[in-house]
Amino acid sequence: MNALKPAFSDRSAFAPSEGYRLLPFRFNRIGDRYIATNDVGEYVFLAPSELTDLVNYRLAPTLPVYRELQSRHFILEDTSRVAVDLLALKYRSRVSRVAEFTALHMFVVTLRCDHSCHYCQVSRQTEDRANFDMSREHAEQAVRMVFRSPARRLKIEFQGGEPLLNFDLIRHIVEYATLLNRDERRDLAFVIASNLSRLTDEILDFCREHRVALSTSLDGPQDLHDKQRPLRGGSSHAAALGGIERARRTLGNDAVSALMTTTPDAIERVDEIIEEYARTGFHSIFLRALSPYGFAARSLVRRYDTDDWVAFYKRGLRRVLEMNRAGFRMREEYTAILLQKIFSPTGTGYIDLQSPAGIGIAGIVYNYDGSVYASDEGRMLAEMGETQFMLGHLDKNSYEEMMTGEQLLAPLDATVLESAPRCSDCAFMPYCGADPVFHQATMGDWLGHKAFSSFCAKQTAVLEHLFELLETDPGARETMLGWI
Amino acid sequence: MSSGNLAADRHVVFERDRILLTLDPAVYGLSAIQKAGYRLAKRCTLLVSATGAREIHLSLLLPAQVDEQVARGVLLEFLRELGDQQLREQVREETKGIRELVLAHAFSNTDLVSRE
Repeated sequence: MNALKPAFSDRSAFAPSEGYRLLPFRFNRIGDRYIATNDVGEYVFLAPSELTDLVNYRLAPTLPVYRELQSRHFILEDTSRVAVDLLALKYRSRVSRVAEFTALHMFVVTLRCDHSCHYCQVSRQTEDRANFDMSREHAEQAVRMVFRSPARRLKIEFQGGEPLLNFDLIRHIVEYATLLNRDERRDLAFVIASNLSRLTDEILDFCREHRVALSTSLDGPQDLHDKQRPLRGGSSHAAALGGIERARRTLGNDAVSALMTTTPDAIERVDEIIEEYARTGFHSIFLRALSPYGFAARSLVRRYDTDDWVAFYKRGLRRVLEMNRAGFRMREEYTAILLQKIFSPTGTGYIDLQSPAGIGIAGIVYNYDGSVYASDEGRMLAEMGETQFMLGHLDKNSYEEMMTGEQLLAPLDATVLESAPRCSDCAFMPYCGADPVFHQATMGDWLGHKAFSSFCAKQTAVLEHLFELLETDPGARETMLGWI
Repeated sequence: MSSGNLAADRHVVFERDRILLTLDPAVYGLSAIQKAGYRLAKRCTLLVSATGAREIHLSLLLPAQVDEQVARGVLLEFLRELGDQQLREQVREETKGIRELVLAHAFSNTDLVSRE
């Protein structure tokens, strides 16, 4: 009779080994050094010789970098479970956000708008309420779907067009959601993304009563803002600033935020844009690249490339840091998001920087006509005829059909960074995200080839710059860490 | 195109629109080679023409006829990337077991399905 073969390794295989063991990590070259990161987002800079010594088990325990690697979970000295327990706990914290889906629910209450912005693909300058406003029935169906999400914190964001053109529906949605939340007991927040041209005292009173925040667009100084955001019969810039001032008086300073979009006209004017934000009382700015959705936006995007935007961002960040040094509190939001990804144990919910991608599970869009999209950019692509990110329709599909259907799961599955070519090896993976809608729009498939991806080029350049600042500029480091 | 020291090596041949390269499979794995090619896809296209027990034959196809300096730059970049990729393969292989252990441990007490 043949002897039975043991199913498990002998105990001796698990005995403590001399020296150290490697824990999983990734590395990238930055200049003449390497940055190594691990799945829990810790990082260490290494000289080339230190990296090869580390991998070949020649790193001396007396070196300062040895202790750094040990404390940040790159090496393990023994087989005690404590280090593995801690690493597992940190990993679980970092990915726990995935189970808390979907936090952001965007309601396109109307497609009508009084502006004709060059970079917008979705608005309609029309009075046709019947065809471009969301119905009450669809709104209520969407609110019920909001509460199907497991997320404890829910945010309902009203978008357009210009959502205040359909304020009656906003009022109804806020009241209906508040009513349902008496039983649901979620942490529920509302925000209206508006150009503020139609802001009235009645609207402000309602916002104050129901704690609705406002988010608006401020593209920079008046000439730049008005050129990019034409308003029939007036100045969009004046309307925005007037609205911001009134909203601050009624709702408080923190209840109003602003966003800018980087067009070819803006690309050389970052200092002026930031100074306009400071002049108008803002203490934060989000330096956003133009999204390549829609024909007009694509043609604008072609007029500047990733290098131009990265130069714009670096110059802008420098100006923001200078302001802080001079005593004026100012924060750059994109930097703050990335720093949170680097230093916070739970990362951030920012939709574009998630893996699995944020579509559907970080945010979802209920369009004016009852269709449901996996992201705002997905509905913009649909305006160009690419409807692949439409999850379904409120009249026809259940929550389960939309959230577990192939329309959502296939792009999520195909773009997880941990298994994506190049991303899976990249040291910046823990701080980056999958963006299937962007890559579909720019490269024709969900994943894209990262050697040619402007998303990858932008992320890499920005992160390299941030790590450079963190390592070489103590003043900048102190200021930026205060933004987390 | 003149050769320089690299091309004097029998393992490297510069042609007008490509670089021919012979590597030792005992030193470089095919996976590392392919990943290095993927990373450098903007500068050259990797073609693996033959693999054997003793040699792997590669071509780095250049986007257009380029001068020697540019071609040398591409080759050095490829070799440096290849070294990094080979090191990554080593790390991946040696940490595979513990990675699975950490992931299994991280999710061992979680339950995504609510049981009511």
